[in-house]
Amino acid sequence: MDARNFTFMFYGFLAAWLIILAYVVSLARRSARLSKELEDVKQLVGSGQKT
Amino acid sequence: MNLLRQSVAVARKDLAIEIRTKESLNAAGSFAIVILLIFSFAFESFSDEMGEFGGGLLWLVFVFAGALVFNRGFARELPNECLDTLLASPLSAAALVIGKAFANFAMLLAVELVSLLVFGIFYGVDWLSVAGWLGLVFALATWGVSILGAVFGALTVNLRLRELMLPVIIYPLMIPVLIAAIELTNTVLNHRPVSGQMEWIRVLVVSDIVFTVLAWVLADTILVN
Amino acid sequence: MREKLVVALALAAAVLLAFNLYNIFVMLPDEASQGYIYRIIFFHVPAAWVGMLGFFVAMTLSVLYLAGGDLKYDSLAASIVEVAVVFSTVNLVTGSIWARVIWGIWWTWDYRLTSQLVCVLIFSGYLMLRRAIDEPTQRARLSAALTVFGCVNVVIVWKSIEWFRNNHPGPVLSFRTGGKSGMDPAMLHALLWNFLALMIVAAALTLIRTRQESTAREIDSLRRAAHV
Repeated sequence: MDARNFTFMFYGFLAAWLIILAYVVSLARRSARLSKELEDVKQLVGSGQKT
Repeated sequence: MNLLRQSVAVARKDLAIEIRTKESLNAAGSFAIVILLIFSFAFESFSDEMGEFGGGLLWLVFVFAGALVFNRGFARELPNECLDTLLASPLSAAALVIGKAFANFAMLLAVELVSLLVFGIFYGVDWLSVAGWLGLVFALATWGVSILGAVFGALTVNLRLRELMLPVIIYPLMIPVLIAAIELTNTVLNHRPVSGQMEWIRVLVVSDIVFTVLAWVLADTILVN
Repeated sequence: MREKLVVALALAAAVLLAFNLYNIFVMLPDEASQGYIYRIIFFHVPAAWVGMLGFFVAMTLSVLYLAGGDLKYDSLAASIVEVAVVFSTVNLVTGSIWARVIWGIWWTWDYRLTSQLVCVLIFSGYLMLRRAIDEPTQRARLSAALTVFGCVNVVIVWKSIEWFRNNHPGPVLSFRTGGKSGMDPAMLHALLWNFLALMIVAAALTLIRTRQESTAREIDSLRRAAHV
């Protein structure tokens, strides 16, 4: 009983951390994508072209 | 009261269109009957358990059919720029939203009546003897979902994925009204006294008042020209 | 400057979390009836508090946006809602795992869990709504309206199910029935410290997300300028 509790508690903590980690990773990817997009748009605007 | 007069005018316009074309009523009514038929395969009808499932089943049917009605509500104003015209008119945005809610309410009540008839026949449930209480519960709960349908019909009218976004947004918001409606409907259909469940009536009344006030206050925000 | 703030917050959170985890696993004794599993409460409950607090702060910001029209309020509200949804999900998942051990079921229609689920559903709809609208002012306006409806709704759901579930017997999270006063002080302190740690994490994530919103707005205005 106690061993099973320990396993489930581990799963619980793991779940909590994984969810937050997944969100952090998605934030990081979105940041990278936005930075790249900003650079691209700045280049396009800077070169006088219309997007 | 000016707001009331304007709302009634909007409702009369919508209901006149609906009586002539019957587009929402036919679609929603047929949809409701089909769902009741399909659910009859899931649940054993004419059984005692129907007393416990009846309320939930009915209200599921009503909100699914209601989504069809609410979607049409503001969508019918899009062709020929009717919506812009309405917003440019002396009509207040609140009157427009509340008027649409009145129309939703009337149409949904019609669908509910048809559904009750079919439900009584398919599932062998006697609802006629408790029609009074049932009417009260249905009136209170239907207003709650109608006002939400009108507000969020207005909010989603110009969106790309309107038919998808409207149900996704309003179903969670309907939950307090739905829980109360289902509990009360089950109580009434089982011939139990409503006096034991007055708290749910209070939930319905509070939800109705709060949603209506919010709709009145936020209508201008949602329907900016 | 903002990057330094985010890094500082992240470091503070890391230190605090390390200290808390040590406290949770090593220092605190087992709970009388539940054994080891109860320690999950130290993430389950603070996550709920962070989530709920986030939604109500978002509502305040939405009202401020509607009053003033400053899009910064809208960006901040959207970021807070997103982070709050994440923490509320953590609350739901840890609650589900805890319930599985204690009561043998993955879910219970306890008023807190149900209200939390309704919250997550409403504000997931909010996030979907934002993705469906391109024009920033319209997006801000409609999101604000939905936030107000959403928060009011959650209060109504909470109160109505609380009454319902108190009238009918049902599983209730054990030592919270008596309110926090029923809790051992050492455990209460651990709970509050972890709440602080999660708040710092949430603040750091919100800052990052808000920065992304500004960048997105900048890209948008550059594109519009190019079209003109």
